[in-house]
Amino acid sequence: MAAYLKALRADESDTVLASHHDGRTLAHRLTDKYGDRVCSAFTVFGREGSFAPLPGDLPPSLASALTARGIERLYSHQQEAWEAARAGRHVLVATPTASGKTLCYTMPVLSSVLEAGAKALYLFPTKALAQDQVSELLDINRAGDLGVKAFTFDGDTPGDARQAIRLHGDVVVSNPDMLHQAILPHHTKWAQFFENLRYVVIDEIHTYRGVFGSHLANVLRRLKRICAFYGVTPQFVLCSATIGNATEHAQALIEDDVVTVSRSGAPSGDKHVLLWNPPVVNPDLGLRASARSQTNLIARVAIKAKMKTLVFAQSRLMVEVLTKYLKDVFDHDTRKPARIRAYRGGYLPTERRDVERQMRAGTVDGIVSTSALELGVDIGSLDAVVLNGYPGSIAATWQRFGRAGRRQQPSLGVLVATSAPLDQYLMRHPAFLTEASPEHARIQPDQPLILLDHIRCAAFELPFLAGDRFGPDDAEAYLQVLAEAEVLHQEGERWEWIADSYPANAVSLRSVADGNFVVVDRTEGRQTIIAEVDYSAAALTLYEGAIHMIQSVPYQVERLDWEGRKAYCTRTHVDYYTDAIDYTKLKELECFDGRNAGEGSARHGEVHVVRRVSGYKKIRYYTHENIGYGPVNLPDQELHSTAVWWQLPQTVLDAAFRSRQHALDGFLGAAYALHTAAIVAVMAEPRDLQKAVGSGDGGWSAQVDAGGRGQIRAPDGGLALPDALERFLPTVYLYDNFPGGVGLSEPLFQRAPELLNHAAATIRGCECKAGCPGCVGPVLAADEGREETPRALALRVLTLLGASA
Amino acid sequence: MSDLASRLAALRRQAGVRAPEPAPTARAPAAPVPNRPDLALLRRMAGVRERIAQPRSPLRAATRDVPGEEIASGLRYLERRFQVTDAPAEFDLTFARLTTARREHLLHFDTETTGLAGGTGTRAFMIGAADWHDGGLRVRQLYMTTMAAETAMLRAFTGWIDADTVLVSYNGKSYDAPLLATRYRLARMPNPLHGLIHVDLLHPMRRRFRQVWENCRMQTAERKLLRIVREDDLPGSEAPRAWLTYLRGGASTDLVRVAEHNLQDVRSLSGLLVEAHGWAESDATSPAGYEK
Repeated sequence: MAAYLKALRADESDTVLASHHDGRTLAHRLTDKYGDRVCSAFTVFGREGSFAPLPGDLPPSLASALTARGIERLYSHQQEAWEAARAGRHVLVATPTASGKTLCYTMPVLSSVLEAGAKALYLFPTKALAQDQVSELLDINRAGDLGVKAFTFDGDTPGDARQAIRLHGDVVVSNPDMLHQAILPHHTKWAQFFENLRYVVIDEIHTYRGVFGSHLANVLRRLKRICAFYGVTPQFVLCSATIGNATEHAQALIEDDVVTVSRSGAPSGDKHVLLWNPPVVNPDLGLRASARSQTNLIARVAIKAKMKTLVFAQSRLMVEVLTKYLKDVFDHDTRKPARIRAYRGGYLPTERRDVERQMRAGTVDGIVSTSALELGVDIGSLDAVVLNGYPGSIAATWQRFGRAGRRQQPSLGVLVATSAPLDQYLMRHPAFLTEASPEHARIQPDQPLILLDHIRCAAFELPFLAGDRFGPDDAEAYLQVLAEAEVLHQEGERWEWIADSYPANAVSLRSVADGNFVVVDRTEGRQTIIAEVDYSAAALTLYEGAIHMIQSVPYQVERLDWEGRKAYCTRTHVDYYTDAIDYTKLKELECFDGRNAGEGSARHGEVHVVRRVSGYKKIRYYTHENIGYGPVNLPDQELHSTAVWWQLPQTVLDAAFRSRQHALDGFLGAAYALHTAAIVAVMAEPRDLQKAVGSGDGGWSAQVDAGGRGQIRAPDGGLALPDALERFLPTVYLYDNFPGGVGLSEPLFQRAPELLNHAAATIRGCECKAGCPGCVGPVLAADEGREETPRALALRVLTLLGASA
Repeated sequence: MSDLASRLAALRRQAGVRAPEPAPTARAPAAPVPNRPDLALLRRMAGVRERIAQPRSPLRAATRDVPGEEIASGLRYLERRFQVTDAPAEFDLTFARLTTARREHLLHFDTETTGLAGGTGTRAFMIGAADWHDGGLRVRQLYMTTMAAETAMLRAFTGWIDADTVLVSYNGKSYDAPLLATRYRLARMPNPLHGLIHVDLLHPMRRRFRQVWENCRMQTAERKLLRIVREDDLPGSEAPRAWLTYLRGGASTDLVRVAEHNLQDVRSLSGLLVEAHGWAESDATSPAGYEK
């Protein structure tokens, strides 16, 4: 690094630091020094602990195991959970991060194993969490010599171990995908396990939302059906992070009442939160310094003040860039153990375990992570959390801030805004973060296509009898469709599976394609696998020429074997990193149905969604100047799905808008409002139902650019001006982000007039001036003074499409 | 369509344009009226994903005759006897790392199934078994002409087995036996195969001939060791289709061929076991004497 840069940065941060700080004093020092950057500062006050003795009816061996592990009393919520579970109730534990939720289920589960030889099934959303859990159970087991057998059961479990786990596992720790694809369709092999199944524990239930949650609810229906076959009715213990409707969500998942334990008895220190907007560096253009530079500054100051610091970045690339910058400061002596580590998906499991271990041991001072650390991976306690950009939801923001705070010590949380309109909006309106309720988790398990999938899987597991219900409904209509497809055979009262197929393999609970890519290091003739990248991220990070970083060490991808799912790279020493340029466009394949919508039309049908990586930028470290481009030749990421779309004829647009740019901005705003209305209407998650604006003939696509204006990308990937187009037929699409669709858009078409009215009413009733995240999407401050505001333009589009005025 | 409409109306109320409370969950006191989605709609939506267009085989005016005797509703029984003179009274099973078995305890068995997918959705529709009886080889076969006959078939098969039975199969340890275990479990019946000695000839054949033959499939072993070449044999992979065709009201022609195929399988099993019994003596000589 250039010496002058080093000096510059050292100067800025060193002035703030005295010596040792805690969250409170550092928050004050930062506010004093950078008052113009701190848009809002507030304190979330901590609380005293509330304790209870270990329950008297705890099996003595378990009590002594807990005591040996240093647990001599319980937090009040742990005791509450214990009593509810012992009373035979389903329990939801919804206390904050790091309040000791695990013990809430460990105690009743281990007691039932010890007292009655009962079995328990744990479901975690990731393998890493499952492994954590098993090692914790083994620790308790060892401490008390309990003889409890706990195993993970996931895709990595070798075939010869599976038999032993089925027969001897007391606690089997798995994930919903394995339950769906490997356990339920082979339930006869698990007969002894099911016959003794007493508890089903599902942790992190806030992650099971939208389509994923709807799938899980159906997998649980199948689980209950199998349990009934074996004559058992297990109790559920569920855990959730803070969301707006944890109890309702838990009850929707298991379709039964739960006792909610939400008042934490764990002590916590005060949390000092700063909302930080980077300084304006060019007043003429209104340009601010990058969030990255500010995140780097704050993290550096916190680490120098001897605070264990966790930085959250929004992308894997940003994790590597920030790691490099922090390592340049703290890890320039390579002989010493690293003080800064990165953590993200795409690392090898061993690498991740190693980072977790070092964090727990306290040997690492700074960690840079993606959302991968948002869940309950045990990394010990931290003093400061810095968010490089708004995570996109209030719940995730608090979840991330919740990572900091050890016992009574004050902690620091800083949210650094990027230039994205949503981030900037938050800086102008901090109440959006502090006063609004966290997001609700929504699921729609009775959505017909999802039901069809799971009734198919359920019929494979056990035959259906006439009149059998699945969920709230009679399954017969679905059984009939499946019989017509010749996968079921009806004989008298029974519907039996008859096809030579394994239906669970064709149903993926998550919208991710299979086929991880391995990254192979070929430096100096090596053949070492250094990373695994999931399919969805491969096109964006492994194109030929890409700089792929691991713990900020750069490797250059030399060859990508797309079919063989391998990327070959060598160690490199360049002074830049690369960032992919990608865009998405839609094309109508088949129209199922259509009708007039005001002066335009609404349609429903099959669409072809193409995501293309057209090239990449080379970006120099520190200066962040763009120093070149490279081409990328990769197959398009294609998705056939179902969609609902609206469009207006060119003549109508010409008459109603001053320019095509105005009309385009109106469509983008209308898309935002319709998307919000649609998500509520079909209880989807934003990621499951996507929005897009593009040409009706599949030619161009449009996005909102950094300046808040619509920007058109021509079919060749280049930018185009609306006025230069021969035909201008902007179209709003809402499409299912799942191969083949999951049936979200069909009801939207049926309810199109209602959606339009709802979207228009939301805009009209919004208290903002020009537009905000609550109506047409965040707008920049400059737009608030625009003559024709984004919200007025969006409202005009909706009205033309028939929304009642 | 009216059902779907009411369903959508319900949805509309639920998600309702800003319902006063969080949207009712699936637990909401749903109307007890069964809620049926529109079939045409379901088909169309399912079609986008699968484009299932399996042509149905046209029903030909073909025979529906099935052989054997109906011993329970939908369950048919076939029995054939063959004169075989050279079977030893006591079999040496050292080739399978076992000791010996008396001839009358052997039960050579093979199932025909609805597929290879595995899991609880695959079933056996035919079970054939050969044993030494009255000085000859007796082959008994059970098969179902209705799904409901499965319990009766499993019960009948249980009747052929006792605590002394020694099972003989080809790949049966990994395929037929676990599959039957699943079927017995689903029928809530004790599994008669549990705990029995089971001689799976695939593994000894592999150990001995892996380097010699192009593969160690049963029909290869049968050809090389017993000099049996099947004519007009219905390949095992065709069995599911043959049975389904009959079950759905089609011709029984191929189902009859499945029974023939299964019969030959269990006969050959008995022959192969006699061969393998002989290995103990000839083990001094290399297996190179066999045709390559």
